[in-house]
Amino acid sequence: MLKVNDVYKSFNDTKVLEGIAVDISKSKVFGLAGPSGSGKSTLLRCMQGLETPDRGSIEHNGKMCFMFQDFQLFPHMTVIQNLLYAPNLNKKKHKKHDKEQQANALMRNLGLESKKHAYPKSLSGGEKQRVALARSLMIDPETLLCDEPTSGLDVATTTDVVLLLKSVCETAGVTMVIASHNLDFLTEISDRIVLLKSGKIVADIETRMHDDPINYLKKYY
Amino acid sequence: MEKLISSFLCIGAGLAITLQLLVGSFLIGATVGSLLSILRYSNISRICTFLIDRAVSVIRGTPLILQLSLIYFSVPCVLGIRLSATSAGIIAFGVNSSAYIAEILRSGIESLAKGQFEAAQTLGIPKFYMWKDIIMPQVIADIFPALVNEIITLLKETALIATIGGADIMRRSQTLAAERYEYFVPLCIAGVYYYLLVALIEFVGKKIESKQLHVKG
Repeated sequence: MLKVNDVYKSFNDTKVLEGIAVDISKSKVFGLAGPSGSGKSTLLRCMQGLETPDRGSIEHNGKMCFMFQDFQLFPHMTVIQNLLYAPNLNKKKHKKHDKEQQANALMRNLGLESKKHAYPKSLSGGEKQRVALARSLMIDPETLLCDEPTSGLDVATTTDVVLLLKSVCETAGVTMVIASHNLDFLTEISDRIVLLKSGKIVADIETRMHDDPINYLKKYY
Repeated sequence: MEKLISSFLCIGAGLAITLQLLVGSFLIGATVGSLLSILRYSNISRICTFLIDRAVSVIRGTPLILQLSLIYFSVPCVLGIRLSATSAGIIAFGVNSSAYIAEILRSGIESLAKGQFEAAQTLGIPKFYMWKDIIMPQVIADIFPALVNEIITLLKETALIATIGGADIMRRSQTLAAERYEYFVPLCIAGVYYYLLVALIEFVGKKIESKQLHVKG
């Protein structure tokens, strides 16, 4: 369950979010669209607890994890260390073994096996993206918040990311909230899209109910 | 030649005191400096941040020789504890160094992406482990050259122990000079010892730095 109740947020007199209210509980992949500066990232950060709303509240149960636009992998750790560090903290030996198996399976599925002992600085953008995704999945979240997962990626890699996120959503049973300015990408992957503009919701659609969701959203963009 | 060798050996006997002062004060400086930085950035309270800022400012804003004299001459009067010159030196140099190390760490922590703190938070990593395993290894890799500089400065500052009678390299060279009425050779020998120590620190520093390259993203 994830519910945003009438959230307001300002930074130094600049209103970023104005009365956002949305219930995300029923979506599997929820898209947050909007131009730069519309408040998408701030809303995601409020959901994760990285920002405190000035007014309103966020209700959620279950574990949430956040995938950063710039990945924020730990540069002094290898790929496998990035994956295992957080889930293995204070764990007993047999549980650590389970997590190692989970990490190996994830790396196999995401095509990262050959990069297991590589440091983040030697990875491409797409590989970093997959490591960030795997690291988030390692803590078994119920909801995954992704901030601009396709920014800085080429068209081919963006397509890979769409397929990857779709399959993760289906196999791991994770609800995803994805913020992006890329309407093509969002309509491809989301079952519901909310469009933000100047901190307010200006459109809210179920993608399968529309013949042409991109053009519909573009009218409000 | 024999006189030169005996001078080298005589002054070299002060090496043990110089190294004790360097290692002891660096350990104090690094520990206290790290704690001050972490406490400051943990936002425990505004009073705590204010007090740490003021303490660092006062320590950096007063001469080291004054701090050394205060600890060596005033502590016995105020607390009734008699300190040896070496102990007083280790405390004074350590406290002084802690303020500089705290400032070096501050610049390192501020230059680290805020996202690293947030990534640790979103993965549910407790604060102690976040500082120990995520933040500090990256900060230390970033500030390592500045830290080596601080160790070199600290080594040279240990020569101030001569002012309160500590028998380090500097003091021994001064004593020898006074005994022989000849200043040039003993002081040059002291200079050679200090320079060799600095060269060793630089060499080890560069070796460690080259091994840490993978940390920098």
